[in-house]
Amino acid sequence: MSDRAVKLFRVGVASCGIAAGAEAVMEMLKARAGSIPVVGVGCLGHCYAEPMVEAVLNSGESVLFRDVQATEADMDNLLAVGPNKRFEIPPERKSRELIKVLALAGRIDPTDFDAYVANGGYEGLKRALSMTPEQVVDEVKLSGLRGRGGGGFPTGNKWGFLAAKKADNKILICNADEGDPGAFMDRSLMESVPHQVLEGMLIAAYATGAARLFIYCRAEYPLAIKHLNLAIDQIRTHRLNVVNGRELDIIIKEGAGAFVCGEETALIASLEGKRGTPRFRPPFPTDSGFQGHPTMINNVETFGNVPLILREGGAEYAKIGTAGSKGTKLFALAGDLKYPGLVEVPMGITLGEIVFEIGGADREKVKAVQTGGPSGGCIPVELFDTPVDYDSLRALGAIMGSGGMIVIGKDRCMVETARYFLDFTHRESCGKCTFCRVGMTRMYETLERIVNGQGEESDLDFLADLGPKIRMGSLCGLGQTAPNPVLATLRYYRHEYEEHVRDHHCRALQCNALVDLELEQDKCIKCKMCIRTCPVGAISDDFVIDPDKCTRCNSCLDACPKQAVRRVPKRKK
Amino acid sequence: MDQKFTFLSKIDREPSNLIKGLQLVQASEGFVSDEAILAVAEYFNIPPVEVEGVLSFYAQFKRVKPGKYKIAVCDGTACHIKGSALVQEWMRQELGIKSGETAPDGVFSLETVACLGCCSLAPVMSINGRVYGKLDRKKMVKILKEYASK
Amino acid sequence: MSIEFKLDNRVVAAEPGQTILEVARANGIEIPSLCRENRISKTTSCFVCVVRDRKTGKFLPSCSACPTPGQEIDATTPEVLDMRRTALNLLLSEHTGDCEAPCTLACPAHAAVEEYVRAGRQGNFLESLKIIKERIPLPMSIGRVCPRFCEKDCRRNVYGKPVAINDFKRLAADLYYDSYQEELPDPIGKRVAVIGGGPAGLSAAYFLRRQGVLSTIFEAMPRPGGMLRYGIPEYRLPKTILDRELRHFEQMGIEFQCGRRLGENLNLADLHRDFDAVVVAIGCWKASGMRCEGEENALLGIDFLRNVIEHDCKVPNPGKVIVVGGGNTAMDCLRTSVRLGSPEVTCFYRRTEAEMPAEKIEIAEAREEGVDFQFLVAPVKLEKRDGRLVLTCRRMELGEPDASGRRKPVEIPGSDFETVADTVIGAIGQRVQAPAEIAVNRFGVLDAAGDSLRVAERLYGAGDCVSGAATVVEAVASGRRAALEILRDIAGIKLETEPEINVSRGKWQYLKKENLVFIRDNVSESDRAQLDQIPLEERKSTFRETTITMPADRVSKEGERCIECSCTDKKECKLRKYSSQNGCDPEKIKGARLPVSYDTRHPLIIQDRGKCIKCGICVKVCKEVVGQTLLSQKKRGFSTTVSTAFDQGLPQSCADCGQCIEACPTGALDWRNKA
Repeated sequence: MSDRAVKLFRVGVASCGIAAGAEAVMEMLKARAGSIPVVGVGCLGHCYAEPMVEAVLNSGESVLFRDVQATEADMDNLLAVGPNKRFEIPPERKSRELIKVLALAGRIDPTDFDAYVANGGYEGLKRALSMTPEQVVDEVKLSGLRGRGGGGFPTGNKWGFLAAKKADNKILICNADEGDPGAFMDRSLMESVPHQVLEGMLIAAYATGAARLFIYCRAEYPLAIKHLNLAIDQIRTHRLNVVNGRELDIIIKEGAGAFVCGEETALIASLEGKRGTPRFRPPFPTDSGFQGHPTMINNVETFGNVPLILREGGAEYAKIGTAGSKGTKLFALAGDLKYPGLVEVPMGITLGEIVFEIGGADREKVKAVQTGGPSGGCIPVELFDTPVDYDSLRALGAIMGSGGMIVIGKDRCMVETARYFLDFTHRESCGKCTFCRVGMTRMYETLERIVNGQGEESDLDFLADLGPKIRMGSLCGLGQTAPNPVLATLRYYRHEYEEHVRDHHCRALQCNALVDLELEQDKCIKCKMCIRTCPVGAISDDFVIDPDKCTRCNSCLDACPKQAVRRVPKRKK
Repeated sequence: MDQKFTFLSKIDREPSNLIKGLQLVQASEGFVSDEAILAVAEYFNIPPVEVEGVLSFYAQFKRVKPGKYKIAVCDGTACHIKGSALVQEWMRQELGIKSGETAPDGVFSLETVACLGCCSLAPVMSINGRVYGKLDRKKMVKILKEYASK
Repeated sequence: MSIEFKLDNRVVAAEPGQTILEVARANGIEIPSLCRENRISKTTSCFVCVVRDRKTGKFLPSCSACPTPGQEIDATTPEVLDMRRTALNLLLSEHTGDCEAPCTLACPAHAAVEEYVRAGRQGNFLESLKIIKERIPLPMSIGRVCPRFCEKDCRRNVYGKPVAINDFKRLAADLYYDSYQEELPDPIGKRVAVIGGGPAGLSAAYFLRRQGVLSTIFEAMPRPGGMLRYGIPEYRLPKTILDRELRHFEQMGIEFQCGRRLGENLNLADLHRDFDAVVVAIGCWKASGMRCEGEENALLGIDFLRNVIEHDCKVPNPGKVIVVGGGNTAMDCLRTSVRLGSPEVTCFYRRTEAEMPAEKIEIAEAREEGVDFQFLVAPVKLEKRDGRLVLTCRRMELGEPDASGRRKPVEIPGSDFETVADTVIGAIGQRVQAPAEIAVNRFGVLDAAGDSLRVAERLYGAGDCVSGAATVVEAVASGRRAALEILRDIAGIKLETEPEINVSRGKWQYLKKENLVFIRDNVSESDRAQLDQIPLEERKSTFRETTITMPADRVSKEGERCIECSCTDKKECKLRKYSSQNGCDPEKIKGARLPVSYDTRHPLIIQDRGKCIKCGICVKVCKEVVGQTLLSQKKRGFSTTVSTAFDQGLPQSCADCGQCIEACPTGALDWRNKA
């Protein structure tokens, strides 16, 4: 057999791939590939190129294909390892990424237990079991691992708290309620390498003496739940869930759609079958958590790092990163950039390196990046030299968060961006604390007024005064961070706010109430596409857009073959 | 207990399973009716008013029967930046319904969701769980027509 | 093992498990909290109880935070108070309700309108009168002449006419004024001089006497009463009524000295020597001229009215009359002229009827009595010709709005015309006629401080001479304010409790019927009760009082129309109490309020969700204390509500124990019956 022949096809069938049509591709490829195995794998992180297929040659060489469709032509091309639709990982990205946690993502079939084991899986657990629980906790402390869910609390310390508790029914919870819109690191990890998360949990259970293990996962992640359930069955079959002679219960609980349940005490309430409202701490969950038992909560990515630490040792792990932030971090890159997707980078890399080099964003067109999801903050492009670590980001008024990273282009309005984030967070407030429930609603209403051109100068002072009070007067992380997008944009983009309230002007031409659509007559070829497309009949037969009828829906702008329609500042009446 | 809800016996009567019980009901019925609340309340021995309190807290649970095809327009950050507000507006124009509503003929129901986790394909929507990405008006209308004629 | 920590710089001890709030209360430091209820598990919701950890700078909810050894907690620093105030302001910003009924707020005297209407509805008019007299010492007069500020803001206006509030006052006073004797304390030895025996002066003397301070009223005219006697015509306020009221003042020990005019036979220095304080309530008695050539040929409104009254309405027929002006005094002049036998009475006014400041009812009744109105007409010249008067006028049109918001009349050139009359009366306005001893400011009124009405040391102003010409009820309110200030200054008596904040649903003009909360069943849908009038012919030819006090059954029935807008919990509401104490403002933070949503299905308990602060105490009390679970919080965030199973209202199994009501910090849950 020739070296150039295909040994194995891998098709990315994580959620992004499926959404792009990967299932049909896989089905067709299976039918066509004959004896060549076609394996469904997780995510390689290059979502912009989905559906992706990898052909592994006899030589061991790997050839990647992008945007593959379920067509005969594409199949022929794959089977012949043809020149079409070839995909090379952009070299800048390759050089900047450091793939450790995601090493097996997109490489193995997530449902294949043996494949995981064959690639070093459960070696971390084995090593842990050969140590005392105290030693395992110390190893994690040594690694410097900090919580990846956003808080950044030292993981080893947390483990130590739970381990120190003398109780029979200690609880371990994996927080897989990845609620930040724009973040999908946890989903990808669970879909692609579910065993890695479970291994981390088992190690933690051993180190802390936990008896019951829960995974609290978003119901919106059916594939992740499916893969986790399969993996749980597999470890039961292989008796890996018997730790210290005790058989551990691992239960997946599906969340029911409440962002606030990402917060520890709210998550516990939800797990208990109650309304997901947080409570005052102390007592901390490690003292009194789920049904009163000592409880520890770690996030998916945190657990995903644990097998690595045990495998290579905490000291080795700690070689990567900065003084205060160790290891690698996953980011979900999205927004105005060329290569959206999932990336893994060493702590300490700069924002610019992530956004420009890995994400391929246009340096001329980027205005800012939003880290930490809806409760994070915007960091302007001028500060892109900032290293990505917990403490540097906090100093800028942003947070690491769970790892969502949205690139915001120059044609985006920062006031509108803040309004959007608050629209989400104020609706997700559980309603318990006055500051969050009423305060966030008031901030949101104020932003609505501003983007609608009804803002007043005093509104800016109101926002700047109320925001910090909401932070200080809320029980949980939601309220404590929800004003961040406003405060950060007010800090860096106050001029945009001022233009909205003083001049009723949106420089990004994004706020509909401050914008008109205009048809440039000399570019127009009278094709009438715009007239036909307009859903409200706002364009006259002589190609004039009636600003009173126009809903600024952009249909005509998209439909025009000559780009004759453009958004312009609203004309004063 | 109402025969319709005997599937509840698959799970323990432990009150912490309340949400799971409601999820089973919704998976089976498509929504949570008053009678389902009474059945769940009886099964877990929790007062009905408390069951209501819990289910109304979570966005997942629907109290009205959804359409045959459940459209979820993603308004996650990436989708928002890529124009999900327009997708919602087009939906309103095409179907005459807003988020949270079911069309009178019962074919489509529409909701806005926080994130479908397919940010790189933004803007996206899902219909009965199937995700459609990189939407523009034309593509969206075409997909709706396909479903409507099914 | 107790824990020591510092609370507001004081070292205090806490038992393990005790919260900062509990320790504070045990040590006499008041920290307000809305959501803490000792019998149930902690809720930590309102954040009104915030305190600050000085070392970390963090704000903590003191209802849940337990002190740690050596901690330094601040409970009353400006930063803490600012946080607390903001929490309260946020709660107020979503609060949908009316602390106080709009009628009560509209009444310049702040009479407890809803309460006296309710007593009247229940047939207890003596009780009505008692309530009224807590604010209004001249209820028979005001029951007849008040322009009814209360009724203008009455929520009944949303669908139909307002409740006939003033008729409750008139009836209650007619029935019981003579027999009702308020409790009077023994004189405390202080004495006050009141200059002016009009409504403001009388009111000041009345409220002083009710606290044991006697006064002497110095009246310039032969008899006391001021405008009530010499300004308001007999047919609106019979002087026998006024005399009955004044008799009561004498019975209370208030001394009257008539014919004493400041600057003539009375001076401030003497009064200051003989009395502990002096109130100047000399009214507005100088009429303004018509401001046209020959204005001296016209009579002046109040002079004309006074002359008629001084002659017991027995003055010669004025012949053909023209009254220039559009206020209530103009109406009085017109209608008095009709009664004096004038064959033709005309009102000239330089704007249109819509801009006329006179009460609508006065205009309508004047018209019924045959008065003719000429609008958009202004006087230019008045001259005597052949023993009669010739008034030259110019026609006007309305131009741009002026400072008052009314459209300004603009002359139409060349539109002059002449009218012949026997009597021309200018009723343009009145000013203060101040003797040399009394300084007036550039507005022509006494320079009295806004709140205290203090003019100088131990010298106070009240009534029209401070406000400019206004109404009787405003003068009464002003007199009371001066009295309260004097009581504080000379006797150390503090009557006025601290100012209460009032959340309001807003003016009825912005409301629909669905926005109203009907706590009482059977709010009557019938039309407003009408006052009976004497026959028109009698009105036109005699000075008999034109209206007849309503009979009691009609007034009681009218009470059924009252919606009773005020909050059931206005006296106990903790949100109102703490907001008042912390200087909060319901209008400070703008935004959407909670939707109007109330439940009156239970016979005893009402739920008004617009007032819910989402603390969830009621839910927990019902479950943890009563052992029932009849309530639950539903939905989340701003939309959170407390509701019953399937929102069907409290079920039969509710024991009506009222524990939820006792626990509720606001009026969101309350007993249904008011008073």
